[in-house]
Amino acid sequence: MVSGALLTGAILIIISGNDPIAAYAALLEGAFSNSYRISETFVKAIPLMLMALGVSIAFKNQIWNIGAGGQFTIGTILSVIVCLYFKLPPIPTIILSFIFAFIGGALWGGLAGWLKARFNANEVITTLMLDYIATYLLAYLVYGPMMDPNGFGYPQSAVIEKVLRLPKLIVGGRLHTGIFVAIAILFLMLLFWRSTLGFKIELAGQGNDVSRYAGIDNKKIIVITMLLSGGLSGIAGWNEIHGIHFRLMTDLAGSYGSIAIVIALLGNLNPLGIAISAYFFSVLIVGGNTMQNLTGIPYSLVDIIQGLIVVFVITRTAFRTESIQTFFRKRRYQHNG
Amino acid sequence: MDNIFTATFFVSIFASTIRLATPILLTALGEIYTQRSGILNLGLEGTMTMSAMAGFVCAYFSKNLFIGFLGGIIVGMICSAFMAFLSITVRANQVIAGTALTILGIGFSSFIYRIIFGIQKLPPQVESLTKFDIPLLSSIPYIGTIFFQHNLIVYLAYILAVFSWIVLEKTTFGLNVKAVGEHPRAADSKGINVSKVRYTAVIIGGAFAGLSGAFMSIAYMNSFSDTMIAGRGFIAVAVVVFARWNPLRAMVGSLLFGIASALQIRFQAIGVPIPNQFLLMLPYLVTIIALITVSKKAEFPSAYTKPYSRMER
Repeated sequence: MVSGALLTGAILIIISGNDPIAAYAALLEGAFSNSYRISETFVKAIPLMLMALGVSIAFKNQIWNIGAGGQFTIGTILSVIVCLYFKLPPIPTIILSFIFAFIGGALWGGLAGWLKARFNANEVITTLMLDYIATYLLAYLVYGPMMDPNGFGYPQSAVIEKVLRLPKLIVGGRLHTGIFVAIAILFLMLLFWRSTLGFKIELAGQGNDVSRYAGIDNKKIIVITMLLSGGLSGIAGWNEIHGIHFRLMTDLAGSYGSIAIVIALLGNLNPLGIAISAYFFSVLIVGGNTMQNLTGIPYSLVDIIQGLIVVFVITRTAFRTESIQTFFRKRRYQHNG
Repeated sequence: MDNIFTATFFVSIFASTIRLATPILLTALGEIYTQRSGILNLGLEGTMTMSAMAGFVCAYFSKNLFIGFLGGIIVGMICSAFMAFLSITVRANQVIAGTALTILGIGFSSFIYRIIFGIQKLPPQVESLTKFDIPLLSSIPYIGTIFFQHNLIVYLAYILAVFSWIVLEKTTFGLNVKAVGEHPRAADSKGINVSKVRYTAVIIGGAFAGLSGAFMSIAYMNSFSDTMIAGRGFIAVAVVVFARWNPLRAMVGSLLFGIASALQIRFQAIGVPIPNQFLLMLPYLVTIIALITVSKKAEFPSAYTKPYSRMER
């Protein structure tokens, strides 16, 4: 699927009158040619992996959480609030910030879950709406009450204190100790899918009847699924605040929400698969900019490759479920008749 | 501060409300056909961006806005045909397919635009669609300025709302669309070709989104940027749910989003210290509330996002 998408990308590059090998070489150069760039590929991969892991919990239960960006945003907001206003010693602040970010993201996702369980409200729409609401809430805060008084009116909050920032791992790069938190969560997710709760969520995703016969309270599981799903995106927000941005700005989430969906799918909703896909996408993103600078091929090629990967993934899944075969069989049948 | 709320202020707010509601309304109307047939097209954002690009490119090279709109509509139909293929024939998950289409649409339009125009200091521009004052009506004080001094696409959008309501409620085609959305099996047994009706409904949706995308680049603005749709495709999906799949209520929903952004733009321009983010948030909150009431009454098309196969029960 990845090779299919890269191949299609190569064809597009040829059509646009460029050399695909040079383009991909520039992309790799942009991602790996020096230690700063290599560290960047990990820096970008951390939030993407955490959010994709979050999204994957919901997807396993066939709940289509497309608002990971909003859950991430709430996480960043609460982290910064804890850091700026709680006035606690450094270590408790960092821990409390982590807990608040998790709870914030969890509640933002859990709200959509509760609306689905209680009112049967379609989660695609509610998570999307909550995504926008979170974005405007963030904008309100950085233009209003949380605006940095010494920030010359820029829409951003004050920065968190230096002691609250996660230590850097390499000189001159942005890679920080948050990566260990991310790895820990990756292992927790591997264990989670072997736990009773993980099993219940997976079973609930097989259909209402299956899990009901197994004695599972589907509505409760929907809410729990969305709480956890949102919580992981909240942690991604915590990670970005303490490791990279150190302050609130408008539109911190960018297009992370939709990329997380792509990564979760490409990783087959499996934690290790997600970790590898997140890193792969991170390389594309980091290298894509260099490719644009060196060869003049637009960065949007990276978006196209992402989109194509999803298309290939869903078509392949469909092929396995024999629907297409049925389609062609029906065609043949009609021709013969 | 006190004298900003004058008659002129309100007239200009309402006039821009109507203009700002137009692209949302057009896309929402098309999405009503699509969703009524049981398909959720979440790829509208990408479709609109593609059409905005196509509309602009066609208008730029032909020096003819009509060709621009036509190009936008055709590209919109092609994009949605792809969505239809993924969701009806391949029977892929529609949320995922829509996400893919959004990413692809924005990526492709930006890629093609860059390939055609390269990087320029000043973005290439077209003469955008001029407003057309409706004779007599446009000279009515206040009312004329609010309702009858827009470009033709704006009038067309509101006419299409009424037209779509008639099509969906009063014609056999509308009945078929609703039938395959409510109960595809029953529709099938009545001899309705489920996938044909669904394909048609999704492609109609694409045509509307295409017109709307072209409106953005060659009627609302006069240039293209890959961020110009700015969430309008998703807002249209919200409006459809808010409107409970009724084209006339979609008009109300679009105007609600329109007035929120009109007020926001104006407040920002004159520096009123009202946090306009809450204003912008409001329509999304209202949509969630509408969704709760809708879901209770089970007005959702029953076969929403469910692919149909004769082989399964």
